[in-house]
Amino acid sequence: MTAAASQKQGSAQAQSRNGGSLWLRVLDPGERTLALLLLAPTALLLALIIVYPVGRLIWTSVHTLSLTSGAPAVFSGLENYQLMLEDPVFWETTRNTVLITLITVPGALVVGLCLALMANLPFRAKWPVRLSLLIPWALPLSFAGLIFAWFFHSEYGVVNDVLRRIGLPGVIWFNSAGWAFAAICLTIIWKTSSFMALIILAGLQTIPRSLYEAADVDGAGRLRQFWEITLPLLRPSIVVALIFRTITALQTFDIPFTMTRGGPGTATATLAMYIHQNTVDFLDLGYGSALAVVMFALSMIVTALYLRMIRARG
Amino acid sequence: MSSVAFRRLEKSYGSFQIVKGIDLDIADREFVVLVGPSGCGKSTTLRMLAGLEDISGGEILIGEKVVNRLPPRERDIAMVFQDYALYPHKTVFENMAFSLRVRRMPADEIKMRIAQTAEMLGIGQLLERRPGQLSGGQRQRVAMGRAIVRRPAVFLFDEPLSNLDAKLRGQVRGEIKRLHQTIGTTIIYVTHDQVEAMTLADRIVLLRAGEIEQVGTPDEIYNRPASMFVGGFIGSPAMNFCRAHIAGDAIRLDGGASFPVHGAAVGASTALDGREIVLGIRPEHFQIGGDGPSVSGIVQVVEPLGSDTLIHFSSGSATLTARVPPQLRPVPGETMTIGVDPTRIHLFDAASERALH
Repeated sequence: MTAAASQKQGSAQAQSRNGGSLWLRVLDPGERTLALLLLAPTALLLALIIVYPVGRLIWTSVHTLSLTSGAPAVFSGLENYQLMLEDPVFWETTRNTVLITLITVPGALVVGLCLALMANLPFRAKWPVRLSLLIPWALPLSFAGLIFAWFFHSEYGVVNDVLRRIGLPGVIWFNSAGWAFAAICLTIIWKTSSFMALIILAGLQTIPRSLYEAADVDGAGRLRQFWEITLPLLRPSIVVALIFRTITALQTFDIPFTMTRGGPGTATATLAMYIHQNTVDFLDLGYGSALAVVMFALSMIVTALYLRMIRARG
Repeated sequence: MSSVAFRRLEKSYGSFQIVKGIDLDIADREFVVLVGPSGCGKSTTLRMLAGLEDISGGEILIGEKVVNRLPPRERDIAMVFQDYALYPHKTVFENMAFSLRVRRMPADEIKMRIAQTAEMLGIGQLLERRPGQLSGGQRQRVAMGRAIVRRPAVFLFDEPLSNLDAKLRGQVRGEIKRLHQTIGTTIIYVTHDQVEAMTLADRIVLLRAGEIEQVGTPDEIYNRPASMFVGGFIGSPAMNFCRAHIAGDAIRLDGGASFPVHGAAVGASTALDGREIVLGIRPEHFQIGGDGPSVSGIVQVVEPLGSDTLIHFSSGSATLTARVPPQLRPVPGETMTIGVDPTRIHLFDAASERALH
């Protein structure tokens, strides 16, 4: 970088630090055009696949638009949101979604961490271990739901079979709200912990072996090495895994949809299923969009919290 | 403080033997440097001593105790790693305190020891920083601090200067030497750099392909190399080698020059009559003028270094390097004749490559 260029960048940084203008303003006009041209393809693509759909979603959420009536969209302000606050199913599905998130994200983290630690052991043949980690992740969600629906089947399921073999009574999993919820959470944890494990395994492999050797020489045992070296150094990987997992947990759809259809009643229905029901089954796009905006906001809040967590400690 | 000993120490990976039965006694407070080219087994030997590698055969003693099966933490050693291995998420203070906390030392004593050590190494103002915020030289010092604060029986250094630039390397080398003089603990130091070996060691152990080639003080290694390998490894530029044979009481170079056999160089020259040998001359042992033996050759490259000049010249089939005073600046292509100090030549058996003393 030339001295002039670095000076320019320095003054740009100073300006933005002072709450000043965009750095583009300090570039001379020729450079500004070039910069805009270079940014344009990415900006256009983002506008097309993110800004437009999100904008359209928010627009629809403040309109009454039901395809069954055939009437054109009518601006209705916050009516859909008002309706939502008074809708007990909205509250129940939101509660279920948050509960699923609070149970399955830490659950998958703990299981994923254990799997990653095991996969990181010096196996002679690494590929069978890695492959077995990849398979649950690669399996489509709805397949996992269908498979586990059979596992938890009250008469033919392997889970009840095992319970009976060890002398416990079988459970009619999908007849009670609590057991159905537990079955869904177990399935989600099984399905998603391998993804956690893969990200954490990648993080584990970036920790230099010499740190453990130094800790060996320093006299630290295995448990202490885990708490004082492995876990702190895994923090960035864990946060990334948590962000991805939490956002997908908030959008949980396929597994409860294929296992219970939200039942019994709406005991295992999630917000995403309720959005699907309103938009796809009832064709009430206005109300469905308002629900989707809430889910979008929830995801954004969670992401912002995680990012703040990284920045605060980073 | 402690002595260290290796008895027939071996290490194999599968069928490949990397350390082939090393015997060595290291005295208490001694500074021993293990040196050799890549793959000679020096780092492996150090890591076996640290307990970071299992041994395949033989014994390791620290003090009077066989430590073969002891984990690293029970060996009372401290190690400075090549990449420093500082804990990146801990501050300098926490890095140094870690081993003491593990040993449940009272907090006051930890603070006091760290303060003392930090002062000795000049890193007192860095204690609250993390390794990522330090320069290479500072990290190196923190790594030493972490080892010193433990007050172990033996210090192990595994190529600790190889990540530093040349200037800093020289400076830290001096600090390590001073450190040894201050604390006086046994140090075993691994390097591939012969300058580090020569400047730091009380005794150098030169390894080649998993075996000890020679053990001796830097003077002994430099002045009386046991083999062509040692002669070529220690000293920079490297020792010149020319094929020769012994004819009566003279050494005849294949290039034509002839030397009288000097008593110090070959004791029983008559028994060696006719034997094929290799003559070793260090670049600094050529001399200008004098009426001793000389070699002639065609100057190829001249490298002025300021303090002196290196002249590369061809003589017969050999290419030789001479270190001469800076004012001597021959021109490439010209023929020159340069004297050799006959008392400083080295003779090696051509077949075994061992020295003929």
